[in-house]
Amino acid sequence: MTDRSDDTPGATASGAAPDADTSRTRRRRTAALVAAGLALVVVAVVAFSIGRLSTLGDPTPTDRSADAGFSRDMQVHHLQGVEMAMIIRGISDADDIQHLSYDIATTQAQQAGQMYGWLEEWGLSQFSAEPMAWMAAGGGHEHGATGASGAADGAGAVMPGMATEAQLDQLRSSTGVEAERLFLELMIAHHRGAVEMAEAAQTLADTTVVRRLADSIVQSQDAEIALMEGMLADRA
Amino acid sequence: MEGIPVSAAPRPTGSDKPLTTKQQRAAERERKLEAFRKKEAARKRNRKLGIIGAVVGVVAIGGLLVTSIVLAPKPATYAGGGTGTGEDIEGVELFENSSNHVTTPVEYPQTPPAGGEHNPVWLNCGVYTEPVPNENAVHSLEHGALWVTYDPSLADDELAALRAKLPSSYVILSPFDGLPSPIVVSGWNSQLQVDDADDPRIAAFFEEFWKSDLVPEPGALCTGGVDGPGKA
Repeated sequence: MTDRSDDTPGATASGAAPDADTSRTRRRRTAALVAAGLALVVVAVVAFSIGRLSTLGDPTPTDRSADAGFSRDMQVHHLQGVEMAMIIRGISDADDIQHLSYDIATTQAQQAGQMYGWLEEWGLSQFSAEPMAWMAAGGGHEHGATGASGAADGAGAVMPGMATEAQLDQLRSSTGVEAERLFLELMIAHHRGAVEMAEAAQTLADTTVVRRLADSIVQSQDAEIALMEGMLADRA
Repeated sequence: MEGIPVSAAPRPTGSDKPLTTKQQRAAERERKLEAFRKKEAARKRNRKLGIIGAVVGVVAIGGLLVTSIVLAPKPATYAGGGTGTGEDIEGVELFENSSNHVTTPVEYPQTPPAGGEHNPVWLNCGVYTEPVPNENAVHSLEHGALWVTYDPSLADDELAALRAKLPSSYVILSPFDGLPSPIVVSGWNSQLQVDDADDPRIAAFFEEFWKSDLVPEPGALCTGGVDGPGKA
């Protein structure tokens, strides 16, 4: 180039130099496009990865998780609590029993609904082929069951504190203070079982919502156990 | 910086004896050469850094991508497929039925009934040894329960095997006369006929339809209604 420009200064000034300019501009533009494309790919990949990794903190529970297992089994457990509360409401007129059973029925029905909703949200079945497996998998928790479970058929898994169908029949057919005492005894055992399951969930569950519900079950049912022991002592 | 000794070197000698043109040129050439070498070394170093940087960058981003794919939670899977239609379970039938409350007997289009008009009072879930009233049982289906019916001629060990598979709540087990197959499992607007208790589709049907959110009243209880005859 320099040689040529020495030979024919006029020609190069108007010819070769613009050529070089355009090719340089083109090269620069291509380089800029490639750099921009690369940057875009890098940003996209990083954003995608961060998005996926951000779900690790509070992951969607899987079918076999303690979160799912607790949400299924505690629904069954809670709904028996609702049933027992509704039975005694129809038998006893005592103010303290009326208030307690109203409290238990509404609280446990609402909490069962929460757990139902979580499973729907997680895209998981409400059905558990292996009830209580989630707690056994965690290990170390012995079931202090008061009786064989199975709200109806007696064939289901044993959940701590669940009343047997025979115990429920006995409650339905009893009256007066006898019915109240039986209800309190069954419900104290039922609450103790629920606390045991909730304590397992506090240790084994991964999701914030499940752990929070487990916390509140442990706290509120422990308090209600104390209340019911007092009510039982009043009826001694 | 390091150019100083080179350019400074000729000066002290120059003070007492001026350099010849040849020496000056040689010094100039040496200085240029030195500058060129440094530039070249710097370019090589930058190139090396650039390559290392690029490799590290690519590896880091690739690693991030792989990590995110490997560690991110897997989508839930279960036998029923999770669409609420049971389309992945062979033999599932779906229907559309009314959910009106009536106190009169109802002629049901399906046998056994799988939804439709029903009694205002639901049948308590549980195990029954005698046929139960259709109008009450259908109300339980509306609450998300499944009704497992079996032909009265079903062998005792088959019945025991069937019973062992069922959950402790939200299920009615009862004999039913005139079934199209030895065992029929019905939900609200869904049904499956099977020949024996060990059919894996029973569990799949439960995963798909037990306490389904597609029934008219999900979450309503299957207790506190009426008992039918022969409740175990």
